[in-house]
This record gives sequence, structure tokens and C-alpha cells, in this order.
Amino acid sequence: MTWRFVYSAAAGPSDMAVDITLLFKASVKTVKTRNKAIGVNVDSVKDEVFKKSRPKSGFSLRAKEVITNITKLKDFLLQHRKDYVSAGSLISTDLSRMTDSERDQIDQDAQIFMRTCSEAIKQLRNEVEKRATSAQIREHRVAVLDLIEMYLKGVCRLYSEQRAIRVKRMVDKKRLSRLTPEHPGKAEKTMDSEPAEEKVVKEESSEKNVSEVQDNSVNLWEEGRVEDELSPEEIQMFEQENQKLVSEMNSLVDEVRQIEGKVVEISRLQEIFAEKVLHQESDIDNIHQLVVGATENVKEGNEDIREAIKNNAGFRVWILFFLVMCSFSLLFLDWPSQLHEVIDFAAVPLPMQALSAFEHGGGCMMLVVCFDVSGVRKED
Amino acid sequence: MATSVREKQTVALKRMLNFNTPPLKNTAAEPVWKVLIYDRFGQDIISPLLSVKELRDMGITLHLLLHSDRDPIPDVPAIYFLMPTEENIDRICQDLRSQLYESYYLNFISAISRSKLEDIASAALTANAVSQVTKVFDQYLNFITLEDDMFILCHQNKELISYHAINRADIQDTDMEAIMDTIVDSLFCFFVTLGAVPIIRCPRGNAAEMVAVKLDKKLRENLRDARNSLFTGDSMAAGQFSFQRPLLVLADRNMDMATPLHHTWTYQALIHDVLDFHLNRVLMDEGGGTDPSHTGARPKKKTKKMYDLTAADKFWQKHKGSPFPEVAESVQEELDAYRAQEDEVKRLKSIMGLDGEDEGAISMLSDNTAKLTSAVSSLPELLEKKRLIDLHTNVATAVLDHIKSRKLDVYFEYEEKLMSKSTTDKSLLDIISDPDAGTPEDKMRLFLIHYITAQQVTSESDLEQYRKALLDTGCDLSPLNYIKQWKAFTKMASTPANYGNSGVKPLGLFSRVMNTGSQFVMEGVKNLVLKQHNLPVTRILDNLMEMKSHPETDDYRYFDPKMLRGSESSIPRNKNPFQEAIVFVVGGGNYIEYQNLVDYAKSKPGRKVVYGCSELFNAAQFMKQLSQLGQK
Repeated sequence: MTWRFVYSAAAGPSDMAVDITLLFKASVKTVKTRNKAIGVNVDSVKDEVFKKSRPKSGFSLRAKEVITNITKLKDFLLQHRKDYVSAGSLISTDLSRMTDSERDQIDQDAQIFMRTCSEAIKQLRNEVEKRATSAQIREHRVAVLDLIEMYLKGVCRLYSEQRAIRVKRMVDKKRLSRLTPEHPGKAEKTMDSEPAEEKVVKEESSEKNVSEVQDNSVNLWEEGRVEDELSPEEIQMFEQENQKLVSEMNSLVDEVRQIEGKVVEISRLQEIFAEKVLHQESDIDNIHQLVVGATENVKEGNEDIREAIKNNAGFRVWILFFLVMCSFSLLFLDWPSQLHEVIDFAAVPLPMQALSAFEHGGGCMMLVVCFDVSGVRKED
Repeated sequence: MATSVREKQTVALKRMLNFNTPPLKNTAAEPVWKVLIYDRFGQDIISPLLSVKELRDMGITLHLLLHSDRDPIPDVPAIYFLMPTEENIDRICQDLRSQLYESYYLNFISAISRSKLEDIASAALTANAVSQVTKVFDQYLNFITLEDDMFILCHQNKELISYHAINRADIQDTDMEAIMDTIVDSLFCFFVTLGAVPIIRCPRGNAAEMVAVKLDKKLRENLRDARNSLFTGDSMAAGQFSFQRPLLVLADRNMDMATPLHHTWTYQALIHDVLDFHLNRVLMDEGGGTDPSHTGARPKKKTKKMYDLTAADKFWQKHKGSPFPEVAESVQEELDAYRAQEDEVKRLKSIMGLDGEDEGAISMLSDNTAKLTSAVSSLPELLEKKRLIDLHTNVATAVLDHIKSRKLDVYFEYEEKLMSKSTTDKSLLDIISDPDAGTPEDKMRLFLIHYITAQQVTSESDLEQYRKALLDTGCDLSPLNYIKQWKAFTKMASTPANYGNSGVKPLGLFSRVMNTGSQFVMEGVKNLVLKQHNLPVTRILDNLMEMKSHPETDDYRYFDPKMLRGSESSIPRNKNPFQEAIVFVVGGGNYIEYQNLVDYAKSKPGRKVVYGCSELFNAAQFMKQLSQLGQK
């Protein structure tokens, strides 16, 4: 019985798939020789040359261009990252030092570059929409553009990380440089007596460098003041003040660190929110359009209602007029016969006279009634 | 085998998609786009392992079926992943002639023969596209991995290697050879991907033995051929040494016919039994008609919903083997936890609103900033969690509806008792003639299990009684004919399988009291607790792994492809217990056996068991095959 070791790779698996490309090429050769033997005419050489110069579609060329541009940007950023991010230590060699103006230049250039790239992507997208190609090609191109956009986003993230670090360091530097003019004399003493404590308190190398530099400059200054004598009480007082200052600085530094952290968090949050807001922008646009349309519709509706009311009033006037006309016509239709009646009136017996008078009276009553009604109506 | 089979296969696929170079870890790498073309086999292999999003991340812009209409997309490399069949080769040649893509990377799922390779070569020559065919690979990935430790052979043409195909009465030798070749090819690919040569053990006298013989021969040939051997690892230094070789146990379905018919009680097996579940995907009707609260209302439109149950779904991974009541409780717990988190986030909103009025609130602000950050960053997680909870609620509700309407718990309990040969309180005839307990299929299943596990032969009169009762309820009796044949056959061969001591202990006091706060009101559904029991397959595995002596397994043949000379003996050379095992059931398997093996592996620490079968069927499909066999 023997042990058999079986090697199975853990992290990088051995090639389980077999590359039979060489086998394929060998079969190609076999087929070629077979064809030659049979005498099949295969015009290979010329056509291959032609085939090689097949036209590449404009889309893929441009897409590849965009990618190469983004890669250039990425390489550029990575190359200058060390210099960019370095805290501007004033005592380090000049080669790696970058002035702020250079940094701003890099920022600007990078932003312009990124903007042009994203615009190029947008342009390509519009083109893809417009061109009526088959569904598969369109899907493919849309997916290609998505991939490019993700790549661009990754590179932009690099850039924004760098920038965030730089801004943080600038803020720190400003805060620190503010301290020295406020306490010129004390600061000098502090530097003298507690350089070790300074080193413990200030972690970042930038601050250390700054303090060292100030140390140097202040030491130079101090040499000029060597002749001043300090009495022991003054020394003690200064020492106490030193202690106070140290504790103050400690608390300040703590606060600074805290706020640093908060600012970074807030910036991260803001990024997330900005992204979400951008997403919602299109939705809000839609809603805006809808609302505008709705207000317009409501306005038109109001107008229509006003018109309708007016029409209604006018309609009533016409109805009234019609009724008046009707009653007048009723009264005066038999105008000629009324004349005859008056003549005959005298010949007719009394009750009949009363009846016919009532008739006419009725007509007048109707007229009176109409006028009343119209009066009421007009009061409406 | 620190990495599971699934991971190995995924890694192989990813490498293939990266033009067969190992993928770089550089996150800000330039995107390279490509098109993926596969046939149905390839699709089945890829779909449980990689999602569409992962494909997109790898630069695949389009994924298309081989035999669909494809438009030419110039300047794009195309990766083909397909089986080397005649029609696929023809289609590839056609593509080459019509110059669809810029360059072609051909990957064949299993090894391609020389003649077919020459076909492609001649087509490439006529189309002057030889330079475009950049790479040709044999991937050896001809199996589908569903879980970390479960694989099946194929899903597309599974009728060709189904139980029915193997056990047909009218099977020809050539057919059998073809089937065996397919199975052996896939098993061979599996071991190539695994990177290990196993020791094979199989019972005598059935399909499993034929498979074992062929597999042994194939492995042996491959090992002898030192130049092209697939099993020599080049990365010897960086490799992981496994001192033991895995054990491959080839089992045959005929050894244990009751398990596929068994009603089940664990979550994954239930889903497979009751709903439409293929390749880790559940297809369900939304707004099911069995919802009693909607009587009288407008009937809901039935839309088909598709759910993927993947490895990333933590709830699924934790609970796929647990009994159903436990699952219901856990869903409820998850829902409560999610609601609590949601309330937290909402509360934060109100705090932030009040904050503006507070002066000198720097400390509070800073505290809230931290809280806000954590809340915002946890929002995507929360949304994902909600989606999963919804998914599982829907699925579990559907399963529960089925259980309630078919009274599956009653069946389960009864069958467990049958299989463990303990006394039953209700007679079989009662259950069969009970009109509202289950579909005719359920009753048939129950009866078949009774017939299979009965110790003494049922008398003719009893049989007639049962037959009449079954026919009354509308069952199809042809499976019974086949099972009778089978029983007669196996009785000649050996003693019937012993199903071990199992027990089903209903939580007596709680059987009617349900989780009152739970959405899943399981009234009338017994809260059954499974006791640990071993199915025949598990017991056989246990014996073989521990090198225990048992009359059942002593007669198993022993194959070691690495030995110089094949031997006919069944005496194992290796006396030490195995740590890793692969159980492969020829003729079909199901989730119940898988779950049993998983439980067994969990109970024995340090053991790894992988389950495989030639096809995966649930009881309904198995019954169909049995009735086909019985009709002959």
C-alpha cells in the first residue's frame, strides 16, 4: 500500500482545460494538403490580404479612442500621485515637490479631460440611438458604452480620492500655520523645551516638518536674542504658560482630528446624495412637465366655464325676448278683428261684452305677468 | 479540496471568459468587450453559476444561443461555449463563412474528436478565416453544479439517460453503450475539474458496475498517457496536498426505489416536489387560485414569476435543509428584524429634522452624522434583504398552500412510519379512500412505498382491495406492474433495503397550537420533528468510508485507476477511512438523498460528501417514468 499524493492547486488552479489550438492548426495543414492533393482550388493568399484590410466600423474605433484617452488620464494621475499627495514638506528634495499652482493645474486638466470623455460617451450614445441598426448590435453598443462609463467612473474616483487627501492636508496646514503668529514668544519657548512632546502630539509628518521648520527659523531668531536675560520667576511663569499651551494644543488637536473625520464622512455622504439627486433629476423633470401641463389645462378649463356662464346668461335673455314676443303676438295678432269687435261690441249683449273684455284682459294679464317674471329674472 | 466543486467550475468559466488567461485582480483595468455564444448545454452549465450582472462585469455585452439568428457584429471577439455535436459544428462553420465576428475563441464542453476538428478547419479555410480562429479549447466542464456539493449531469436531453432509458425492457446493447459513454464522459470531466483521481467502489450486477468499469478504463488510459495527462499538476509547489484520494461510490437507483417517491418535509426538497424548480430557479404563478380570501373578488391575473435561489441568498443557504415549520418561523423572524432596522432608519429621519433647532449641537450632529452614514450605507443591504424576504414569503406560502390542500404532512408521517417499520395507527386503506387527502398521485406514491417496504408479501386479496380503492380515486396502476417486477428481481438478488430506524415524533402537545403571531397560520398542519435517520445510500456510504464490514457492502467491487494492474478483487488495499467521498447515483436522484447526505456529513466532522446523479427528478416525474415502464 502506498500513499499517492494528489496535487490540486488551491489559489491558482492548474489548467484543466486543454489548449488544442495547435492541434487545430495541424488539422488546418492536413486539410490544406488534402485539398491540394484533390485539386480543390483555394485562392487563399490574395483574399487573406484583402480580408485583413476589412473596414472597421466607426463606432468601435471611437470607443477604443475614448478608452485609450481614459487610460492615459489614469496613468497620468497615478504617475503624479506621489508628488501630488505629498504634504509639501519644505525640507525634502526639490524634485518631488509640487507647487500648489501645479496641483491646481493638474486638477483643472483632469476635470476638463473627464468632462470631454463623458461628453464623448454621451455623443456616442446619441448616435447609437439614432442609427437604425439591428437590435443585437444596438444592445452590444449600449453595453460597451456602459462598460466605458464604469471605467471612467473608476478613474474619476481615483482623482477625487487624491483631491480629498490634498484638501485635508491643506486645511490642516492652514490651521497649524495660524497658531504660530498668535503666540510668537510662547511658541518659541514651547518648541525649545518640548520638542519631544511635539513629536508625540503631532502624528502627521506635515506638522512635524512644519514644526521643525519653525523650530529652525525660530532658533535663528532666538540666536539674535541671546543677550536677553530671563529671571527665574519669569522662567517659571513661562513654564507654566507652556504647560497651559500644551494642554490647549492637545485639546485643539483632538478637536481637529474629530472634525477631520466628520468632514470626510460628510463628503462621502454628499457624494452619495449627489448621485441619488442626479438620479432623481430626470424624475423631477418629468413631474415638472406634468404639473405645467396640468396648470395649463386647469386654466383652459376655467376659461371654458366662464364662456359657458356667459352663454347661459345670453341664452336666458333670448328666451325672455321670445316669450315677450309670443305674448305680444298673441295680443295683437287679431288686431284687425279687434277693430271689427269694437264695432260689433255695442251690438252684443252685456255678458258677452264682459266675456270678451275678460279675454282681452287675460291677454293683458299675461303681459303683466311676463314683465313681472322678466323683472324677477333680470334680478337674478 | 478546500475549494468546492462549484468554485472550481466558476473559476474555470471565468478564466474561459477572459480568453483563457487568468483574470487579473486589477479593479481599474481597461474594459474589453466580447460576445458569448452558447448552446443549451452551455446555458445550463453557466446559469446556476454566473448571473447576468457578473457576465456584464466581465465584459460580455451580448449572450446568445448558438442556433438563434445572429447579426454580424464586426470588431468584436466571440467566445463559443458548446458541445461538439454535429449540428453545433455545422453552425460554427456557417458562422465562419458568414464572417459574423472578428475573432473566434472556441471552447468545447467535452473533448472534440479529430475528425470534427478537421471539419471546422476546412470550413475556416474556405472562408479564409483561419487567422480569426484564435484559440480552441477543450474545457472538460460537462456537468452542472447546483450547489457547493451537488451536481447533476445534464438537464437538456435527460430522457436519453433517464431511469426509464436505462431500465427499459427493450433496450439494445448499442443504446446502453451510448448511455454509459455519456455518463462516463461527464464523470470524467468532473474528476478533471476536481483534479483528483478517485478510488471507485460499486455494487455488482447492475448499471453502476458498467459505469465503474468504463470510468476506470478511461481514467487509466489518461493517466498512462504521460504527455497529455490531465492530472499532473504543474503547480506542485503552490499546490495543496491532499493526502487522501476521494472515494467514489457508484450507486444504482434500483437499490432504493422508495426514496424518490417519498413525501418530504425539508424546505428545498419540498420546493422541488411541489413547485416548478429547475437549475435553482423557481417558477410560480402569482395570485394563485387557491387563495380563499379572494373568493367573490375579481380573479387575479396569473402572472408567472421567476425566482432565483442562489448561493448569495444567506437565508436560503441556512434553511434549505430545515424542516418546514422552522422555515416559517425564521421567515417571520427575519421580517421582524428587517422592520426594526427600517424603523431605526425612519427614526433617524425625525431626529435630523429636529436637529436644526438645537444650538451647540455639534456633538449630537457628529453622532448623527455617523448614524446617517451607517444608515445610508446600509440602505442597499436593507433593500436586498427585503427582496429576499418577499421572495421566501411567496415561495413558502405557495408551498404551504400545497401542503394544506394535499395534507402532505399526513403522508409524510405515515411514510416515515412505513419506512421504519414501526406500527401505524391508521390503516393504509383509510388513507387511500380518504377523498380530500391528496391527489391520486400522492396516494399512489404512498401505496408503492408500502408495497416496496412490506416485509412479507401482501396477499392477493389485500392487493385486490387496494387496487380497487386506488382505481376508485383515479390512480394509474401501471407503475405497480413495474414495481412488482422490480421487487421480484431484487428479491432474487439480495435482501430488501433496510431503511434504518427512523422515527417521526410529532410535537404532541403543540401539534395544534401554532405560531399565533405568524403569518403562516399552520392550523391543522402537524409540527413534525424529524429524527435523524439514514437512507440506504447514506448507510452504504458510511460503511464504505469507515471501512466497516457489512454484508451489504462487502461484495462491492474495488477499482483504483492509479494501480498498474487492474484487479478483479473486491478487497480494498487501503485500510484507512476516507475523508472525502463522492456519491453518484446512476438512474436519477433527488433532494431528499442529498439532504440526508448533508446531514450525515455534518454529523461527522471533517468529512466532505459530494452528491451527484445522472438526472434530478421529483416524485411526479419518477412516477411518469415508472408508468411508462409498467405499460410495456
